[in-house]
Amino acid sequence: MDTFTFKRAASVAEAVAAATAGVDAKFLAGGQTLLPVMKQGLAAPSDLVSLARVAAMQGIGVNGGMISIGAMMRHADVAAHGEIKALLPALSVLAGGIADPHVRNRGTIGGSLANNDPAADYPAAVLGLGATVVTDRRRIAADDFFQGMFTTALEAGELITRVEFPVPERAGYIKFPHPASRYALVGVMASKSAQGVRVAVTGAGACVFRATALEQALAKSFTPGALDGVAVGADDLTSDRAGSASYRAHLITVLAKRAVARALEVRS
Amino acid sequence: MTEHARFGKSQVRVEDQRFLTGQGRYIDDVNRPKQKHAAFVRSPHAHARVVTMDVSAARALPGVALIVTGAEWAARGFGPLPCRSPSKVNRDGTPFKEPTRHCLASDTVRYVGEPVAMVVAGTADEARRAADAVIVEYAELASVTDRAAALGDDAAQLWPEVPNNLCLDFEQGNRAAVEAAMATAKHVVRLDMGNNRLTAVPMEPRGAIADFDAATGQYTLVNCSQNIHANRDLMASMLKIDKAKLHHLAPDIGGGFGAKNSVYSEPVVMLYAASKVGCPIKWIADRTEAFLSDTHGRDQQSTVTLALDEHGKFLALHVDTVGNVGAACGTMGPFTPTGGTARTTGSVYAIPAILYTSKAVFTNTVQTDPYRGAGRPEAVFHVERIVEFAARTLGIDPVALRRQNLIKTEQLPYKTAVGLEIDCGDFPAVMERVLAMSDRPGYAARVATSRAKGLRRGFAVTPYLETSGGAPHEEARLAFRADGTVVLSVGTHSTGMGHETALAQIAADTLGIDLTRIRFVQADTDATSIGGGHGGSRGIEVGGSAVLKVARMVIEKARGIAAHLLNSHVDDITFKAGVLSDTKTGQSVALDAVIAAAGDTSRLPQDMSAGALDTTAKFERETYTVPNGAHACEVEVDPETGVIAVDKFWCVDDFGSVINPMLADGQVMGGIVQGLGQALLEEVVYDPQTGQLLTASLLEYALPRADHVPRMEIAFFEGAPTKRNPLGAKGSGEAGCCGATPVIVNAVLDALHEYGVRHIEMPLTSEKVWSAITGASA
Repeated sequence: MDTFTFKRAASVAEAVAAATAGVDAKFLAGGQTLLPVMKQGLAAPSDLVSLARVAAMQGIGVNGGMISIGAMMRHADVAAHGEIKALLPALSVLAGGIADPHVRNRGTIGGSLANNDPAADYPAAVLGLGATVVTDRRRIAADDFFQGMFTTALEAGELITRVEFPVPERAGYIKFPHPASRYALVGVMASKSAQGVRVAVTGAGACVFRATALEQALAKSFTPGALDGVAVGADDLTSDRAGSASYRAHLITVLAKRAVARALEVRS
Repeated sequence: MTEHARFGKSQVRVEDQRFLTGQGRYIDDVNRPKQKHAAFVRSPHAHARVVTMDVSAARALPGVALIVTGAEWAARGFGPLPCRSPSKVNRDGTPFKEPTRHCLASDTVRYVGEPVAMVVAGTADEARRAADAVIVEYAELASVTDRAAALGDDAAQLWPEVPNNLCLDFEQGNRAAVEAAMATAKHVVRLDMGNNRLTAVPMEPRGAIADFDAATGQYTLVNCSQNIHANRDLMASMLKIDKAKLHHLAPDIGGGFGAKNSVYSEPVVMLYAASKVGCPIKWIADRTEAFLSDTHGRDQQSTVTLALDEHGKFLALHVDTVGNVGAACGTMGPFTPTGGTARTTGSVYAIPAILYTSKAVFTNTVQTDPYRGAGRPEAVFHVERIVEFAARTLGIDPVALRRQNLIKTEQLPYKTAVGLEIDCGDFPAVMERVLAMSDRPGYAARVATSRAKGLRRGFAVTPYLETSGGAPHEEARLAFRADGTVVLSVGTHSTGMGHETALAQIAADTLGIDLTRIRFVQADTDATSIGGGHGGSRGIEVGGSAVLKVARMVIEKARGIAAHLLNSHVDDITFKAGVLSDTKTGQSVALDAVIAAAGDTSRLPQDMSAGALDTTAKFERETYTVPNGAHACEVEVDPETGVIAVDKFWCVDDFGSVINPMLADGQVMGGIVQGLGQALLEEVVYDPQTGQLLTASLLEYALPRADHVPRMEIAFFEGAPTKRNPLGAKGSGEAGCCGATPVIVNAVLDALHEYGVRHIEMPLTSEKVWSAITGASA
């Protein structure tokens, strides 16, 4: 690992200032991707700005059908949170299924979203539940946030502070793990709320996306059977040793049915 | 045999306290004052000529003490990496091809990861940076990584002296009888099948600390190896030094599975470098380096043909294999896909004619060498797949077909058509017992329950046999300390299996002393004069037998001392439960009193002196034992996704006499999990175009995890102890993966039978299963 300057920010403003001041500064929000990459010599930031002590990025609050999660909340925090379990169990399940206990006790929701790994779980939650990403300077709707492989709407130095999830009527998440990495080979979040039906797919393409054909079918009837015979095109999907594009396309429909079934099993 | 009475008792491992509380001492826990660190420059290409190597920039970097290049290594005239394959002769009588492979490549690299230079620097980080700064200009050559493609006339040629990359063209068995039977048999079934390439991924990567004492000329190598004595001899020979000048030892080792058997380049170059820089040199492989440079296993492609008569009786078996041995011969070279697989071909079945032919080929991949089972799991896989396939093809119940063709107990001893001498066992009893354990009457209901969930359930039973292996001789030593400690030194090597407990149990039980008094020493060329290390499931069978022998010799000596102390005649002295008694006078003396007396020459008979009780014994087995058993399992397959879950697993193993059932359970479980890994998950993949290793990390190489593993019901059949060693024990370490791999594959294919799926190559990934279902029903 190359040398770097470690800075510990006490506030959002201090964090953003420190990141802007560095030649090639990175926020450190758990480091479960960044630190291994640095150890392998694939990243060599000049500064690491730790967000661990930024109070505004901590905590989980529930208010009027909205769950607000601080960007520095760890996956294990979200998975174990009682009100999330009660109101939005699909999110608990998703957070509790990320990687392994080691990662879940260090990795954070804000870090995961800013990284936007094409096979990460949280992007499916944010897009599939129509969440809002709150930053130091604006509010970004899920549909605008994810822009491509490891690419988001975040500007240089922009810092995710919180993520706000509206509580849906029903939601279910099913992940089909890659046999080695346990990232999502395909992961599907399906939800139904007053705003409509959302089906978000992670792992299958370059970036999380909404499966519109499935959404349209589910809008008519939010049941697994509504997806019978509804196929997802394989053209833009990832093909690799763990799964061809056609296999992934097949899995999207299968997992969407199971996500809907799970959504109907539990009271959101 | 009163001393046997306490064998067979489960005993919690004495080493676990150390291992489970972070007190284990592995290579990276060992540090020497003033040590420096090594890093290796490795080939990024599968096949290339080394045009130039420029180390000037690297040499100028901070902390760099020494750079050894392939050219320098060649100029020094050190010996090549040795090949000790027992199979060395082509079917036409000519010798096999053994190209010269040096520790550091100088003119041509033949696989990604082959070392070309070593850097020594003050810290591991400095060494790594300097290694990265070595500039090597390569001229890329065409490469071939696939076993079958390597034989082609248009394939890249690795060695000018090896046409068609053919290392060894092997044949064993009776060709004429097999061909005759095949020509006239009522049924001949044939199936192509692969044994996927695997890597062991021990938790502890390889590593070493090399040191040299200029004053005495003594080298010391603390090495993450499972073959300390043999590799000491081979490395000394390569370095052209007296083997007495090389002290080779291993601390705790975190898993081997065969991948730490071989002589590797790195420690040899480090020994040389230690003599040059005058300080200890340490190296620990990182995980990627382990994937690139550890020897791999399996990687065979076979065509298996079985001839049967009109009643389903087996008449002849032919296995024709191509085995990938990597870029050059590893320490065991072409043995695994040739003699290593041939010896148990046919397994537990009475097959009058067997032919095993195989071609060991060189490819642009790292060497393959023994991997848990080293050919025996492959042999069981061949016969169990073809038997299952034959049953399906001919419409015979697979269990009945097996039952009909098992070698019957009254046929023992039995010499198989490939020459394996089976001394004892009861294959029918073992298979019937596992069938009884596996609740056949409840199966139909379980099938229905699975089906109601949208799943398909499958079942298979797989008998197996294998042989133990490894070096036939072993040494054990008992030394008695004044403080009551008994030092037990052996030349076998536990890499986590629990010898510190099991071998100590044999000594403690035989001597009638408490287990806690034994201090266990292994894997040290200073502790024993010979040692066969770890391999071929030999730890108990050969090592344990040596321990039993030395303990009995100690008792014989103790009887002499007791006779002296009691003024008795030695013939009247008996030993029981730690006490030596004169049967005539009724006088007795405790063994501990004899041990105390043995430290004092004045209390000993005239022909003994202090330390008289310290004893060394060598044991040599005459021939291998034949562990065997039967596995059964049920799987559930999700036809929508292709996901397989191994739901239930039963096995009955005949390991002869079991010393510590808890440890034997552990051996079986580990073997089953490794077999499951081969069946369902694991595969080393090189890119067929570039020769790059695509599975060079745990993000890509899928190992079994706890949630893949079913509850395993394990029982031991102890009705047939072997007479080939005094313990009656048969090796247990590799049995699990002999049975598990084929039984899981066969159970999956049973589940998929209704879809018309008859074979899927390992690993049975979910996409392969899904494709087979959709392809078959399309």
